[in-house]
Amino acid sequence: MGSIKQIPVVEAKRTNPLARVFDDLVRFCRSRSLFILHYCTGCGAIELPPAMTSRFDMERLGIQPMVSPRQADILLITGYVSIKTLKRVILTYEQMGSPKYVIGICSCTVNGGMYWQSYATAKKLDEYMPVDLYIAGCMPRPEAVIAGLQQLMDKIHSGEASSWEDYYRNYDYYLGNQQKLFGEDWQTPTDVISEAKHYDLLSEGTLGDHTRLLEQHQKPLEALEMRLGHEQEEPAK
Amino acid sequence: MRPENYEAQRQPPSNEFELNFGPNHPGIEGNYALKVKLHGDVVLEAQADGGYLHRGFEKLMEQRLWIQNIALVPRICVPDPSPMELCYSMAVEQLCGLHVPQRANWIRVMQLELSRIAAHLFTFGGHAATTGMYSTMYWGVADRDLVLDLFEEFTGGRVYSIYNIPGGVRRELPSGFLQRVSETLDYIESRLPDYDNLFFKNQVFVKRAKDVGVMTQEQALAWGVTGPNLRATGLAFDVRRDDPYLIYDQLEFEIPTEESGDAWARTLVRRHELMESIRIVRQVVEALPDIHGPIRAPIPNPLAWNVPAGETYTRVESSKGELCYYVVSDGGPKPYRVHVRGPSSMHAVQVLEKLSVGSRIEDIAQTMFSLDACPPEVDR
Repeated sequence: MGSIKQIPVVEAKRTNPLARVFDDLVRFCRSRSLFILHYCTGCGAIELPPAMTSRFDMERLGIQPMVSPRQADILLITGYVSIKTLKRVILTYEQMGSPKYVIGICSCTVNGGMYWQSYATAKKLDEYMPVDLYIAGCMPRPEAVIAGLQQLMDKIHSGEASSWEDYYRNYDYYLGNQQKLFGEDWQTPTDVISEAKHYDLLSEGTLGDHTRLLEQHQKPLEALEMRLGHEQEEPAK
Repeated sequence: MRPENYEAQRQPPSNEFELNFGPNHPGIEGNYALKVKLHGDVVLEAQADGGYLHRGFEKLMEQRLWIQNIALVPRICVPDPSPMELCYSMAVEQLCGLHVPQRANWIRVMQLELSRIAAHLFTFGGHAATTGMYSTMYWGVADRDLVLDLFEEFTGGRVYSIYNIPGGVRRELPSGFLQRVSETLDYIESRLPDYDNLFFKNQVFVKRAKDVGVMTQEQALAWGVTGPNLRATGLAFDVRRDDPYLIYDQLEFEIPTEESGDAWARTLVRRHELMESIRIVRQVVEALPDIHGPIRAPIPNPLAWNVPAGETYTRVESSKGELCYYVVSDGGPKPYRVHVRGPSSMHAVQVLEKLSVGSRIEDIAQTMFSLDACPPEVDR
């Protein structure tokens, strides 16, 4: 498994002189209205209710919780991710609409934390999905969570928070790590390569050995099986 | 977003269907899932699907020193971590034959009961949020934070205190601390009538929670239910009174019970327990200035500590129910085997599966929050 390939990013030529102003305005608005999908993967989730409610009050920064991944901007990974959870985290991440940002809370997302020798947890989160910001600590206090979110807001405003583009640019690397953990036949219902083409982010790191392996194993997605005593019936073709 | 080769299949006509309830769902507590089979919106069958939070605690503890495990055990149950470290410390003390000083025991009781107050306030908040009453959630979380401030002052940690070690507690109370404890208790007690009006007597809550998730006393005993959930079926069993540890036999407190065994009764039992915990902490605050002496029994060098061979079983009453540790030592520097008997693994798996059947899908959250199950403790 090689390291992430560095690809030169070509700046799109702006013919309209107002484009820079508009871009800046869009980024400013984007950073002031963030919806968090917090997937309670671990202990860190217990410091989020204090951070969200009246005492520390995240809402004054324009940040609110959101229950559906389709409408959320930030994916908060609150603590250790066991391998079973990591599959759901990746599914959730791919369901979110771009631009999307990932924050890893607690030391466990950085290097495994307390559970560095556990057989059941994934140690480094950024091997499986790009992470914008880490908030280390076991567990970080609500003040630290809010300071981290403010830092993310600044990064979004300045245009640095572009990890979601890395996922499309280096999809082969992330998919390879996922396949190493979940097995060769790992697939998600999202077609990341088509999305990369859609966003014009297809680069040399997007396709590779691992995406070819994915194509070999890709099965047509069947609609959710309904095992309610209808097994004897032939599945409709 | 769908792949090009995606084709929806025709399903047999049916009004029965399966739903995955969780793990990322606002109506479920933590990272936990249920597979439910529905007819309309009535649950026909529920199957618990845990394992999202599995870290292999019992294996990890075999690979660490006796003293290192103190930092590990509170992570088993996040909302109520103090009983975990106490129960493990008690097990090591029994194996070593350590005699804990009296003052440490009293401080430990104060820590346990403050932790129970914080855990119950948090549960009320979560439970109220499932009925759409977000004000109670905001209040519960804010009032719990006052207790966490006390924890931060005398243990150094907001959530995970890591304050108990085998032989006693780690440090002496700060000066003027007892005064601040009683001020916080006065404040929380003065809030309780407001909570009653907003939540416990609120018809929105009473109508939602009554006759939901009913279990009888026989069922509760057969399924291994403990703690407030058992007391809500009418049986006044509490480890603190019936198998006293620390100095609970010197304290005065009641064991509140309810008869009906539904979600409403379980929450009311917790509401009364909150009062009893405040009463216990008041007694400790009153008695503690007169109890002098060390706070820790001398222990050998903790990095080269060979605990004598043997096995032991300790149990304490956590806010969720009866919490037990079975610890085996082979005389080495690390435990040979540790087993954690947590209350939530019974409540969230077998009890929740059975109580959900026949209720409507929106009442699953009611049942789960009233059982006060703690998913990290189920999976460990």
